[in-house]
Amino acid sequence: MNEFVGRALLRREDAHLLRGEARFIDDVPEPDGTLHLGFVLSPHAHARILEVDTAAAAALPGIQAVLTGADIAAHVQPIVAEVEIEGYRRHGRDVVARDLVRFVGEAVAVVVAEDPYVAQDAIELVEVSYEPLAASIDMEATTAADAPRVHEAVPGNLVFEGRFATEGFDEAFAAAPHVLKERFKSGRVGGVPLEPRGCLAVPEPGGALTFYTSTQIPHMLRTAVAKYIGCPESRLRVVVPEVGGGFGTKAQIYPEEFVTAALARHFRRPVKWIQDRREELITDIHSRDHIYEVEVAFDGEGLVQALRSRVRTNAGAYSTLPFGCTLETTGGARMIVGPYRITNYAYVAQAVVTHTGPVGAYRGVAQPSCYMAIEGMMDRIARHLDIDPAEVRLRNMVPTAELPWTNVVGVRYDTGSYQESLRAAMEAIDYEGFRAGQPADRLVDGKYRGIGICSFTEVSGTGAPGWRARGLVRLPGFDTGLVRVEPSGEVTAFVSHAHAGQGHYTTFAQVVADALGVDFADVTIIEGDTAAVPYGTGTFASRSAVTGGGALIRAATKVRDKMRRIAAHILEAAVEDVVFEAGRAHVAGVEGHGVDMRRIAETAYAMNELTLPEGEDFGLEETDFYDPPLVTMANASHIARVAVDAEDGRVEIEAYAVVHDCGRLINPMIVDGQIHGGVAQGIGEALMEEFVYDDEGQIQNATLLDYLLPTAEDIPDITLGHIESPTIDAVGGFKGVGEGGVIGAVPAVLNAVGDALSGLGIEIATKPLRPSLLAGEIRKVRDGSAS
Amino acid sequence: MIEKLDITLIVNGRERHARVEPRRLLADVLRHELGLKGTHIGCEHGVCGACTVLLDGRSARSCLHFAVAVDGAEITTVEGLGGGDELTPIQQAFHRNHALQCGYCTPGMLVTVQEFLAREPDPDDAAIRRALSNNICRCTGYANIVAAVREAARALREAGT
Amino acid sequence: MKPAPFAFAQPDDLAGLLLALGEHGEDARILAGGQSLVPLMNLRMVQPAMLISLNRVDALDFVDVEDDRIVIGARVRQAQAEEDEAVRRHCPLLADALSFVGGQSNRNRGTVCGSLAHGDPLGEPPAAALALDAEMRIVGPHGRRTVPASQFFLGALETVIAADEMLEAVAVERTRGDERSCFLEVGNRAHGFAVAGLALRLRFDAAGTVTLARVAMIGAGDTARRIAGAETALTGRALDEAAIAEAVAHARTEVDPPSDVHADAGHRRHVLGVLLDRGLRRLAEGDDA
Ligand code: FES
Ligand code: FES
Repeated sequence: MNEFVGRALLRREDAHLLRGEARFIDDVPEPDGTLHLGFVLSPHAHARILEVDTAAAAALPGIQAVLTGADIAAHVQPIVAEVEIEGYRRHGRDVVARDLVRFVGEAVAVVVAEDPYVAQDAIELVEVSYEPLAASIDMEATTAADAPRVHEAVPGNLVFEGRFATEGFDEAFAAAPHVLKERFKSGRVGGVPLEPRGCLAVPEPGGALTFYTSTQIPHMLRTAVAKYIGCPESRLRVVVPEVGGGFGTKAQIYPEEFVTAALARHFRRPVKWIQDRREELITDIHSRDHIYEVEVAFDGEGLVQALRSRVRTNAGAYSTLPFGCTLETTGGARMIVGPYRITNYAYVAQAVVTHTGPVGAYRGVAQPSCYMAIEGMMDRIARHLDIDPAEVRLRNMVPTAELPWTNVVGVRYDTGSYQESLRAAMEAIDYEGFRAGQPADRLVDGKYRGIGICSFTEVSGTGAPGWRARGLVRLPGFDTGLVRVEPSGEVTAFVSHAHAGQGHYTTFAQVVADALGVDFADVTIIEGDTAAVPYGTGTFASRSAVTGGGALIRAATKVRDKMRRIAAHILEAAVEDVVFEAGRAHVAGVEGHGVDMRRIAETAYAMNELTLPEGEDFGLEETDFYDPPLVTMANASHIARVAVDAEDGRVEIEAYAVVHDCGRLINPMIVDGQIHGGVAQGIGEALMEEFVYDDEGQIQNATLLDYLLPTAEDIPDITLGHIESPTIDAVGGFKGVGEGGVIGAVPAVLNAVGDALSGLGIEIATKPLRPSLLAGEIRKVRDGSAS
Repeated sequence: MIEKLDITLIVNGRERHARVEPRRLLADVLRHELGLKGTHIGCEHGVCGACTVLLDGRSARSCLHFAVAVDGAEITTVEGLGGGDELTPIQQAFHRNHALQCGYCTPGMLVTVQEFLAREPDPDDAAIRRALSNNICRCTGYANIVAAVREAARALREAGT
Repeated sequence: MKPAPFAFAQPDDLAGLLLALGEHGEDARILAGGQSLVPLMNLRMVQPAMLISLNRVDALDFVDVEDDRIVIGARVRQAQAEEDEAVRRHCPLLADALSFVGGQSNRNRGTVCGSLAHGDPLGEPPAAALALDAEMRIVGPHGRRTVPASQFFLGALETVIAADEMLEAVAVERTRGDERSCFLEVGNRAHGFAVAGLALRLRFDAAGTVTLARVAMIGAGDTARRIAGAETALTGRALDEAAIAEAVAHARTEVDPPSDVHADAGHRRHVLGVLLDRGLRRLAEGDDA
């Protein structure tokens, strides 16, 4: 039955957010006597800690304690990312540095205060003496023979290297008539959720601990915190309040979380830490600091014959939990083939460590950058052969008729609409019309006007096999649904996810209502509390609809089967003759002969005169642990139309169209919202966002005055269309959608600017495209041609 | 030790008293002394707009004011926008247009829009975008917020006539 | 991110302000709207021992129209000045420049004088004050003094105001005769956080000859500054292509812009010329503020 799935139902979560009644981490009531933490951060990128003098800070009224790295080590084990993949070199991290600091912003001491203002006062009084050491900041130079070493355990600062080549690659490459080569450099950015992170650890009677934290992965976080602070996992309850945006930034387990939990146990008092924006920008995971060197060999029709890539990602100073530092590297190298029929492929993928902030999995992971590379090459092929860029893509795409299809690195594309989505997006933005009116020099009304495409496949709903393929042997992959019909006949469903604005209370209720054949209004969703919800993997990597939706459908189906058996028993009918409709079960074809949900539920709970069928257990709840296949592949095409001001170098996005295919839509309104938000982040990444380190490893823009986020005036209206190609590999037919917006936007905007400036011979192979960069390039060409 | 000062604020129409250090930010006093946690903190340096409140009727960043310096002022926070159980027309428009995802920016957006539509009841999209450009939303991509403001403006105009 | 402790005073009159300033001098800061000062305090980049709020001094809340000038008191908010009828009529350039300051919620609180006294190198009001030949009316324990805007800004966050003084008011020139002006800026976003900006004011005689030219720029040095070469190039002739080209060329040689994460000096130099070119063309077409 499909009554609620597919409808743009308004969100249940809105009212309390709109009234200011929602409780985010800093809104969770603080028990009396709560202590507040402050972290002393290293001002050096690489230095030996000689001495930490805590006396002045400790003497400040209102300070409970000042703890050094050595003090903290007594409570928290060094953390180690458990990546098991050939070519990876393990290294540990003290959650508060003891001997060496390895990036600006690494914690060297912790102050414990009665009040957050006093904590900040004490931070200034902690005196740390350092012996500054030479630092490796540049991601290419870091692997030079004489570069300063980041970790003893990582020789040459090469923390991971993976290689791959198809059989006969070199011959295939050599046989192609045309070869183009480019080096793409992707700037370092971050998720920068509007709400910084924070946590509150509250000791409970009997040695238990309730840990409130702004996370996307409550269960994995519980396991890790329990392990590293030495707390029985059964005594640790992780509760996720409202989360003000995650984007992967909060799908990490951070040092402060271990410290906060450990100190609450140590002091036997509630302990709280709320991050400020500066800390957020400096210490939260960064992402996308990548270089792609790509060589593409193709024939005269623009068909790719072979692709070679060298992918290098900057891991920063430490591998992070729980994904380690190889996700971007393996992702970039493996996903670059996208929707194209590329059968000869070779890569070298490297992750390097540097004395910069640790990186992690920000929305899209390596996909915005690897599509920057491959989609940039598609445009270059088009320009080289003088074929339209859309046509080059259409020729290379795997046609729908050939799906399912397994790509060159072994990933199965079950369903999709690669050519269809591109054609539909072209239609939506009047691609042909624009091209027809576009002069060769691209100059229209004083501005360079161009159009750019990104067609991509989006890895979503990764299950255990998908994580294993990328070396994450301890990442579960499954998620869990527990569906319970209460004695009243209403439904409570528990799911092992944690939202940060995605509207799970609405969408999962739609899924459960349909799976059970009950009213949407009767379904309540609960998530984000490890005491209430069975174990699961959590919310990141575009997976909740696939894994949580699948688990809930499977659990609900089991409940429904049981209800059917009970109904059959009550109605004295054969089980297979019982059908559900509008919250009632009846014998097929005999509508009058039925029983309502409530009576079935009462029967299950032994609350009426009826009995259960022979051998049937009491209660009406079922759990299902759903591990989806390797991945579920969504796809989309984005097209941006831009105007580049020849003088001031500013890029204006004049039109933007997306045609997306994430399989069966649960709630189109929410899907559209995900795409809008992703596109905005992608536009920010393409045009203005970047963390900048100087040669000494000082971060140059650790405020929102200097790390620019796009505003309402920077983001255009978006024309959005959908194609639905339900997956045949995962339960429910859903594919993930969380990351698609950002993945498509980055290359589409870059390619549009590249098209706009193609008349000048300017190639776009870097981001962000700040006005200073573009105006400078344009000036170079013009000055050159003038002289 | 610096002395605490007694202050009085009229918050959402109610007189509230607090005794605070001069350095306490209005945002912290509203949230932690007066328990009004709907006002959010996103940057504490005046860029994000999550902390926006109405101060004597005009929008202001509560992270850029010391509570002692606005002693005696009238403050409206998100909690004071609504008329009881009903959502205001602006809140309703946000709901209907899916103009919030995580909702962290929402209180600041609502306060900003409240002031904006009172001053400019019939704005075009460019004016709406300009009015919103001082409030960061990292989730929605703004399009739905712009649509919500457009719809709220219409609703308020119709209610006014 | 929480400010360091400080003591607080909020006198009811100017005498009280000056008394407090005299007593605490170097360690104290005047708090007006706080839109520039408080972010720095929250980041602990500035840690005054005392804040002296002028917000209780009603006598500083005035916009006066004098014969030649509009005088804006120290408590006048930017939004208030921007919306003020007298300012809009007699000094449209100031209203224009103020519309670029932060967002509405910043302008509702930030004061015109506060922004001048702060001396932010990328703030818009200092450029407007320079272009408007403002008189900076400073008051201190030894009385009042007036400093022309051209001598007021010494460097980034640095002005001629002494520790025991404050900016009581700013007096900008009223528009006279055929006067045209505009404010332009560009940043890396559509609005806000200027990389470079221009306050431009020209006066013409009946024959169309430029009789007065004021070219003030931000992003052209470590403080807002007038570009003398460009002003000279424009004065005493018609605003034609040659004049525009000459002024732009002068501006590009004279500016000494900083480099930072947002833009390098070369870009700033180039776009300052672009802004001047655009501004002059606008004024030539009579499309002014
Ligand atoms: S918290 Fe006040 S503007 Fe960001
Ligand atoms: S809804 Fe999340 S920041 Fe706006």
